[in-house]
Amino acid sequence: MKSLDEGGAIQRPLVAVVDDDESVRESLPDLLGEFGFNSKVFSSAEEFLASDTVSQMRCLVLDIAMPGMTGFDLQQELKIRGHKLPVIFITAQKDETVRRRALDRGAVGFLLKPFSDTALLRALNTALGLD
Amino acid sequence: MAVQPESSIEEIRRLRRCINDLVSVLALPAIWTGGGPSHVVGNLLDALMSMLNLDFIYARLGNSRGSEHAEMMRIGPTLEPKPQPQEISERLRPWLTDDPQKISSVVSNFFDGRDIALVSLQLGLHGEIGHLVAGSGRPGFPEQTERLVLNVAANQAAIGLHEANVLRELDQRVAQRTVELTSANEQLHEARAALEKAFGEIQRSEAKLRQVIDAIPTIAWCNLPDGPNEFLNKSWHEYTGLSPEESDGWGWQVAFHPDDLPPLMTKWQEMLMTIEPGEIEARIRRHDGVYRWFLIRAEPFLEEGKLVRWYGTSTDIDDRKRAEDALNKARAELAHVAQVTTLSTLTASIAHEVNQPLSGIVTNASTCLRMLDAHPPNLEGARETARRTIRDGNRASEVVTRLRGLFSRKNTAFEPFDLNEAVEEVIALLLSELQRNSVVLRPDLAADLPAVLGDRIQVQQVILNLIRNGSDAMSAIDDRPRELLIKTESDEGSGVRLSVKDTGVGFDLQSEERLFETFYTTKGDGMGIGLSVSRSIIESHRGRLWAVRNEGPGATFLLSIPCGTDT
Repeated sequence: MKSLDEGGAIQRPLVAVVDDDESVRESLPDLLGEFGFNSKVFSSAEEFLASDTVSQMRCLVLDIAMPGMTGFDLQQELKIRGHKLPVIFITAQKDETVRRRALDRGAVGFLLKPFSDTALLRALNTALGLD
Repeated sequence: MAVQPESSIEEIRRLRRCINDLVSVLALPAIWTGGGPSHVVGNLLDALMSMLNLDFIYARLGNSRGSEHAEMMRIGPTLEPKPQPQEISERLRPWLTDDPQKISSVVSNFFDGRDIALVSLQLGLHGEIGHLVAGSGRPGFPEQTERLVLNVAANQAAIGLHEANVLRELDQRVAQRTVELTSANEQLHEARAALEKAFGEIQRSEAKLRQVIDAIPTIAWCNLPDGPNEFLNKSWHEYTGLSPEESDGWGWQVAFHPDDLPPLMTKWQEMLMTIEPGEIEARIRRHDGVYRWFLIRAEPFLEEGKLVRWYGTSTDIDDRKRAEDALNKARAELAHVAQVTTLSTLTASIAHEVNQPLSGIVTNASTCLRMLDAHPPNLEGARETARRTIRDGNRASEVVTRLRGLFSRKNTAFEPFDLNEAVEEVIALLLSELQRNSVVLRPDLAADLPAVLGDRIQVQQVILNLIRNGSDAMSAIDDRPRELLIKTESDEGSGVRLSVKDTGVGFDLQSEERLFETFYTTKGDGMGIGLSVSRSIIESHRGRLWAVRNEGPGATFLLSIPCGTDT
């Protein structure tokens, strides 16, 4: 959904996608675009943190298993830094304990790859409080 | 010397005395028998002194020119004061000669102002035995008769001394011979004692040897060249309960299991003909009726090329054989399990690897539909997303094919292949998984690696196993980089070598032996069969798979395979 900025112009919310998986980084922006979101993709949590765009993000679509800083690590780091950024986890790990852990840490959504477009949309609406 | 005419009575008396003296002198040798030279000479000098009333008489034995000599003398009472013997012998020195001039002469002022007539006689033909010098101051000395007596006496002395010397020599020889015989006898005694001692030692050795043969915990035996038994040690009798009489010759056959005896006899006959060592396994009945497996081995013993005996052992291998049977059964089960597990690993791998492109497909296809539903439809976008979908679909297919190929157990066909290529393919397959696990990969693949002869797929299976293990070993490591070094190199011209080195938890010395055992695992889940099967695969390539602990943290797993040219 679109929101109005100060000038009354229609604004598309900015969503961050952090995943080391190339096909995810390639395909999600177009889908998010169809949903009415703008997006920025990052191949690692470190890249995202270094990008200086964290505060502009309205939501974070985050892979869990990544080399270096994991998805959980990034979530933790954002909390420490005081960002109240809603997180939707996406992962190929079909492990119930991982899911529970993610939700315990306050994730807004947890999606198993491959996920349907509607599932992603639902999670995004929840994250932005648009449901 | 002129002789004064005398009365006939005087003459007769003188002649009578002369004859008596001669008889006495001729009888002297009888007294000398058995005596030494000094006895002979002493006796002679005494006799002559009394017979001829000499003032002195001197004898020197041995060549005057030689070193060995003895001197004897008798000095009459008329010489006053008594001269020292040395004085006389000194004075007489010129007369100890065979110079005829000096045989009989008068020496004036010989001693103490008195004139002495000397008679010098040689003992022996040339004076080699010695010299005799008789001296008297009596006027008229020496009379003819006196000279005769002296000559005869000298002759007898020579003979007597010669005999005495001969006897002495004989005595010496006998003494020497006695010494020699005694010595020889002693040596004989010593030799006999040594021999007896040696016999004793041999007997003790034999007893000890017998003890050893009976004490060794295996059955030992000795057979004659044509086959029948000659000797069985104590272990046989104790085990079988058979007596020596029952076992002797061919009697031992009764102890063998009826099923095992025919092949054993066939083997034995074969060995008897070829005179070659051999062995066979067979069951032997214990004294309580229980049959146990034994390994029977025999060696021919040759002396100077001829077969003299057969020596053999029968060792109880029953426990080992039972264990072997159990192991074989376990192996068969394992092979089955390995297959099953490999399938589940396959399934898991496929699911994992295929997931990526599948995600892409779903996302892109969904996007495509939305773009087509837009007003107006976003045809450019739809085309692009559709393209991506098809591309990812192909990718997924590729992955499945590659994975299926990796795990399918086709008939083993050995062909030359490039190890580096094989490694790179496995790395490509596992790359995302490794990245997910934060593993830093460091490939170090040698250029100009010779081709390897083998089953490429199977070897890739092993490489996959090693890389996965390396990654797993580092999954709990947080304080250092998770580095996985994968290195290929030529193995000293005889093959190729691959090493996978991690910085993980490593393994301790006790685990080292067990790493490659079936079912050994340090992972909580998983069945840990990877290394055991991997080793079998590499060994079927006539190679080796082993592990070493790093100097730093972690472990290195290595495999080496001989070259393709090495057939």
